[in-house]
Amino acid sequence: MSCGNHHATPCTEVLSLVYVYIDNECEDMKSVEVTTHLEECGPCAEIVRVERVIKARVKSSCECTEAPETLRTSIVTSIRATYFRSE
Amino acid sequence: MSEEEGTLEQAEDRTARFERDALPYLDQLYGAAMRMTKNPSDAEDLVQETFVKAFAAFDSYTDGTNLKAWLFRILTNTYINTYRKKQREPFQSSADELLDWQLAEAESHTSTGLRSAEMEALDRLADADIVEAMAALPEEFRLAVYLADVEGFPYKEIAEIMETPVGTVMSRLYRGRKLLRDSLADYAVERGYVPAASVSGGDES
Repeated sequence: MSCGNHHATPCTEVLSLVYVYIDNECEDMKSVEVTTHLEECGPCAEIVRVERVIKARVKSSCECTEAPETLRTSIVTSIRATYFRSE
Repeated sequence: MSEEEGTLEQAEDRTARFERDALPYLDQLYGAAMRMTKNPSDAEDLVQETFVKAFAAFDSYTDGTNLKAWLFRILTNTYINTYRKKQREPFQSSADELLDWQLAEAESHTSTGLRSAEMEALDRLADADIVEAMAALPEEFRLAVYLADVEGFPYKEIAEIMETPVGTVMSRLYRGRKLLRDSLADYAVERGYVPAASVSGGDES
């Protein structure tokens, strides 16, 4: 299926590459083809936009976990204890 | 300097180098451990064990290679060996996973519902909704999405961390993200941010 308009790279191919594309894992050549396609195909561009927003929201909502200070202290203590035992 | 003093100094250097280079990843490893174990107490134990193991193996770590990926690999291994064993469940999912991300080609514009409504709903969803949707993902999908989206690891490094082929990583990302998007759409409907019809798939109208 496609948006009905002719593109050098078909919509189905672009849609199969959405994740690879937004993860910057697309080969250079393919990446250029996808970028070109997105400039001329609104529906595909919208899908990529939504996927990028979800990716960004996952990052911003999950990354702010701070380790408890007691854990840091406990790790440093174990490491130094290992070091002193090895002396 | 005697040989004994030399060894001593080396051990001291190694400790200092570990604290300087590896310890700054504590928050990131703890964040990942929280997503794996889903509770602070297990996450702390897991991270503690990870750092103790990493320190013991620090001699085998090659300076200049990716320390963060190395630490995440130890974290993932420790998690699988310690916590997964308790649950007696296989970590690998079904064998058919290798191919199905390629079936993405079957996807079309029409299968994903109204995009503008989805964007608006996404803006209104709280961080807690996203965290909850992530937590509900099957483990191997959740970890792949976490490593890619939160930590920004390239596929090759995720494959090394999870000890799976790159194709499996891609499959897990594909399936994990689809499930995540579906549950976010469900949340948006439940909370009344969008009418059910606009995100349920089907006709593009």
